[in-house]
Amino acid sequence: MLQGALSGLAAGGVYAIIAVCLTLMSRLVRVVNFSQAATGMFGSYVAVWMVSHAGLPIWLATIAGILVGGLLSGIIGWIIATWLSEADTTTRSAVTVGPLLLLISLSFILFGNKPQPFQPLLAGPAFTVSGVVISQVTVAMVLLAIVVAVVSKVVLSRTTVGTQLRALSERPTTAELIGIPAKPLGVAVWAITGIISTIVIVIVAPSQSNDAIALSMLIVPAAAAALLGAFRRLDLAVIGGLVLGVIQGFVAQIDQVSFVRYFLPFLFIVGLLLWNQRKAVWDAAR
Amino acid sequence: MPRANASRTLRILVPFLVTAGGILVGYALSVGLPGYFVFLGTSAIVAAIAILGLGIVTGSAGMIALCQLTFAAVGAWVVAGLNVIEAPGGFIVWLVLGGLAAGVVGILVGLPALRLRGVNLAVVTLGFAAAADVTLVQIQFPGSVTGTSIVRPEGFGTDREFFFLGILVLAACGIIVYFLQRGRWGSSWKAVAFSERGTASTGQSVPGAKLTAFAVSATLGGISGGLIAGQVGLAFASSFSPIQSLALYVLAVMSGAHLIDMAIFGGIIWIVVPELLKRWGVPQDWGFVVFGVLGVQALTSGTNLGTGIRNLWWKRALKKGGTATNHLTTDVSATPAPQRTFSGEPILVVRDLSVTFGKVEALKQVSFELAEGSVLGLIGPNGAGKSTLVDALTGFLPQHTGSVTLDGRALDRLSPTRRARLGLRRTFQQDRVPPSLTIDGYVRFAARRRLTAGEIAEALEFFGCPPASTRLASVDVGTRRLVEVAANVLARPRVLLLDEPAAGLSHEEHVDLGRRLTQVPARFGTSIILIEHDLDLVRSTCDSIMVLDFGSVLASGPQEDVLADPAVIKAYMGETELL
Amino acid sequence: MKKYLLGVAAIGAASVLVLSGCTGSTGDGGGDASPIVVGSVNALSGAAAFPEASQAAKAVFDAVNAEGGINGHLIDYKILDDKGDPAAAAAAAREVVSADNAVALVGSASLLECEINGDYYVQQDIVSIPGVGVDPVCFNNPNISPANVGPFLDMTLSLLYGSEVLGLDNICAMLEIAGSTLPAYQAAIDKWTEITGKKLIYVDDTVPYGAADYTPYIVALKEHGCQAVTVNPVEPDSIGQLKAAQAQGLTDVTWLLLTSVYSENFSKAITDAGAGIYVPAEFYPFTDAESPETKDWRTLMEANNIPLTSFSQGGFLAATYFVQVVKGIKGDITRESVAKALREMDPIDNPMVGTPYVFGPGDTHNSNTAGFPVKLLSGTNQWELAADDWLTIPE
Repeated sequence: MLQGALSGLAAGGVYAIIAVCLTLMSRLVRVVNFSQAATGMFGSYVAVWMVSHAGLPIWLATIAGILVGGLLSGIIGWIIATWLSEADTTTRSAVTVGPLLLLISLSFILFGNKPQPFQPLLAGPAFTVSGVVISQVTVAMVLLAIVVAVVSKVVLSRTTVGTQLRALSERPTTAELIGIPAKPLGVAVWAITGIISTIVIVIVAPSQSNDAIALSMLIVPAAAAALLGAFRRLDLAVIGGLVLGVIQGFVAQIDQVSFVRYFLPFLFIVGLLLWNQRKAVWDAAR
Repeated sequence: MPRANASRTLRILVPFLVTAGGILVGYALSVGLPGYFVFLGTSAIVAAIAILGLGIVTGSAGMIALCQLTFAAVGAWVVAGLNVIEAPGGFIVWLVLGGLAAGVVGILVGLPALRLRGVNLAVVTLGFAAAADVTLVQIQFPGSVTGTSIVRPEGFGTDREFFFLGILVLAACGIIVYFLQRGRWGSSWKAVAFSERGTASTGQSVPGAKLTAFAVSATLGGISGGLIAGQVGLAFASSFSPIQSLALYVLAVMSGAHLIDMAIFGGIIWIVVPELLKRWGVPQDWGFVVFGVLGVQALTSGTNLGTGIRNLWWKRALKKGGTATNHLTTDVSATPAPQRTFSGEPILVVRDLSVTFGKVEALKQVSFELAEGSVLGLIGPNGAGKSTLVDALTGFLPQHTGSVTLDGRALDRLSPTRRARLGLRRTFQQDRVPPSLTIDGYVRFAARRRLTAGEIAEALEFFGCPPASTRLASVDVGTRRLVEVAANVLARPRVLLLDEPAAGLSHEEHVDLGRRLTQVPARFGTSIILIEHDLDLVRSTCDSIMVLDFGSVLASGPQEDVLADPAVIKAYMGETELL
Repeated sequence: MKKYLLGVAAIGAASVLVLSGCTGSTGDGGGDASPIVVGSVNALSGAAAFPEASQAAKAVFDAVNAEGGINGHLIDYKILDDKGDPAAAAAAAREVVSADNAVALVGSASLLECEINGDYYVQQDIVSIPGVGVDPVCFNNPNISPANVGPFLDMTLSLLYGSEVLGLDNICAMLEIAGSTLPAYQAAIDKWTEITGKKLIYVDDTVPYGAADYTPYIVALKEHGCQAVTVNPVEPDSIGQLKAAQAQGLTDVTWLLLTSVYSENFSKAITDAGAGIYVPAEFYPFTDAESPETKDWRTLMEANNIPLTSFSQGGFLAATYFVQVVKGIKGDITRESVAKALREMDPIDNPMVGTPYVFGPGDTHNSNTAGFPVKLLSGTNQWELAADDWLTIPE
């Protein structure tokens, strides 16, 4: 049982990092970005393509892919910041359904749907706990999740840019009036989370099934994880991701309830939302 | 009034005539189109029904639902299951049952929606779609293992006949949706999309509105899924993948699917884009790229095809008719009206009402009585707790302490919806009138009782509102608030709380509104609490006045006494807006 | 807004023109004799696409046309996309059969086409020779007879190779079930049990398609002490499973996989293949570049820039069989005469298959029952022959 649970940690780490990105986006630019994982997927496919077709060395291609992921995310952010700067979260988030659809189909067109020859950046076991091998990727994912969360927290609370970002998210009009550049900062947040999700996917894609849909749909468990922190708290997002991964690994070991595992993210989402929103009755404060 | 009746009969007849015309065209197509196009046409019909459902939940009720094809899968599942056990009734009955089953699932998925809104709901539905997809691939549709084909109904066995059956089903769905959209449910969906508080204040249950939207939408999804099963002969998970649900959502948003014609247009687009790509030799994957780009365009610009076309139409109509605003300054004192007499007994009794937000005491032990048939003015400086008092009285602040009694009945534990239904109504400082409705639709929805056209016209005339057929979107904000007042007065509540109804009107209009408000108790039998900054309006309207300051009642009683009270004058020193 | 609407209206008008303009033009090929219309329904877009089979069939037909066609008739080959979507698959079949008046379907490669359209083909009495048949109906319909072995017999072959040639015990199975395939895989496993008297020690038929992480299933394999495992994966899933096994240190398991993973992309993507990946290739292994068996096919594919895969082998074979049978038809080449000729044909031998092809008059067809074992070992990134001769299912 413990084995099963630990085996879900790698997936949990991925959920956690994307959940952190989602939380940052939700807090700072008022968006639940449905294309978060899809931009990462696209960036990592570009990296693979550059290795296999353009003959670039892996490190160069990986960096290029990560930049493409950041650029794509930045473009979506720019579109939203330009035309929907005043719109509510729901409208802004709905827009990202379009890129999700588009990026999946575009990756079919550009890269085909044959398996991509991903070259592992990290491979092999790191250490063993009670018979279950903890892979290097697992360790990297869990650490990266924590690092990203901590760094974001520090940047937000200790630096000028962080203060400006918080000001923008809490008092957008006032912040703009005192001269904080809203649009460049917003687009930067998009680009940075795009870069982070591409890094994650470039690392995990070689160690798991990596077709376009599977990678893009990582958004569902990640959103479930982010919901534990109500799209506000980074620490809870990390915990949510890890816990969800562990539960999924655990349930997969029990044949009788195996189909429940598909519904785990969904049940997680519903349960958490009902708990989070138990008091918020109305759509507007007054 | 024979003319009004004739136009009403026409209003009911026209949709049926249009539907009959549609069925005739459909029949002609089913006979005349080449075989392959008939089959494609069936796919378009199936998509149109699913989009019609999405139009209700996303277009009208303003919720993001990303699992429409999962509901379709439920419908297909039921049809396939009933087919395998050879249930009595045949395909048509199975189709209806499939739709109903999907409706039930829709309610279950929609249950979180009672609490959730906006983007959270999108996350829930995407999670549901993803989970259901993997499960469906694994557990399989009934009969798929044995390859049991779904038996089409007698007389609709060939592709052509089945296309015509699809046309009939689409026509039935269309006409049902048409009347639902124009009825109470439709108004409640549009109201809840605009403001939940506004919806509850009219006595409409917010969960009810959301659940009916989800249920109707899912039912339509289920019917479309059942039709796919009948069309293909077997149900497959790959017909209902989450990616296709996303594409369908985008298509619904882009076409403006809350309009029935646009939903049908969306269904046609769903088929035409891939077909064109095929003819041009472009890979099919470009189809979703096209949908993705168009979806981003539609969502960022906030426009869709249906409203775009209609706006062009209305703009032309507007040029002819001019902009709609109020005509308060016309004299209405001559209009004869039934007069009522009142006992003067207290109808609303408030005892020791207190509200705290954290450590802040917003209201402290407020007690007062409202005499039946009177107009009570509630004044006080900004932040005195006036709106908090309205919120507490009408049930929007359930944490309040103390007691509120309406006509001898304690209201303390009741929801805003219940209180509104019992006859304690309010209007809002903010614009809470859903712009997607016509004045007529909104008034009928808010009044919650049968109204004749004459009654509506009279009340609108009384408050100087534009005619009933005007769309609220083309009415200026100040006048919308007057429509809100008129609609709430038409509901004949026992007590109506008006939260700064004159904001957005000119000073002359304030006074005119005041003159009308004084007549409301006698004309409509409703007692009024009026919250106002404008002392002129209060003076001209209110028999008695209550002054709130820092959450406590500073003074209350007949107008002259209160305004002469030294404590009141002192509290108002420096309140420029009152001088 | 107005501009936008105008644009949309223009697109609408254009589509009406295109759609209506293209319907009337079937039938007139421009040659002296009317062309023979042949169709195919394929997965060309979406998550799983197999374009090579129909491309290969087209290359065969183009070569025939270049030499004057069949008895003076050119072949007009229609390639349609089913997008992996049932309704699109049904629509495609109707377009080919009723609008284009095809005489037969040749070289199709789709995940669900036979299951969706099997009954329709029987009703229209049109025959289909899929290049790569996947779903069970492809092997279980009077009007369909694929050129390939199919995943079910392929699994029997894979198990036979594992237990009889490699001598492995403790074999497990991870089945990814889609559509109605579970009973067919079960029958394939039962057939192996019938032949060898052996049983699988653990079967997990709940393995999902396209899962992000297969670690939990791999852990289960480990716990059951599986020495070898047979899987019916699509390529990305198999890669995911192998990666998870590698991460879990499960390196001593032998993988008995199916032709679905036999591709160069796959071998390049695999760095660690456990104790070896073994596949009974449904056609003579194309990775054996010097082989005379595949020379004709290879020359044609390279001339037309078509990827060398087992899919293009299947499409090539289906088209070759079709041309050979139709050339023997005396009189008009119609749907009826083609069906009759195929049902009465003599078996055709081809060096790329282990058993001769015959359509046959029966209600079910699966003439191809031999696979050629190939293996992929860790670190080689290359498929190698694992036997000298075909492995055939004993009668």
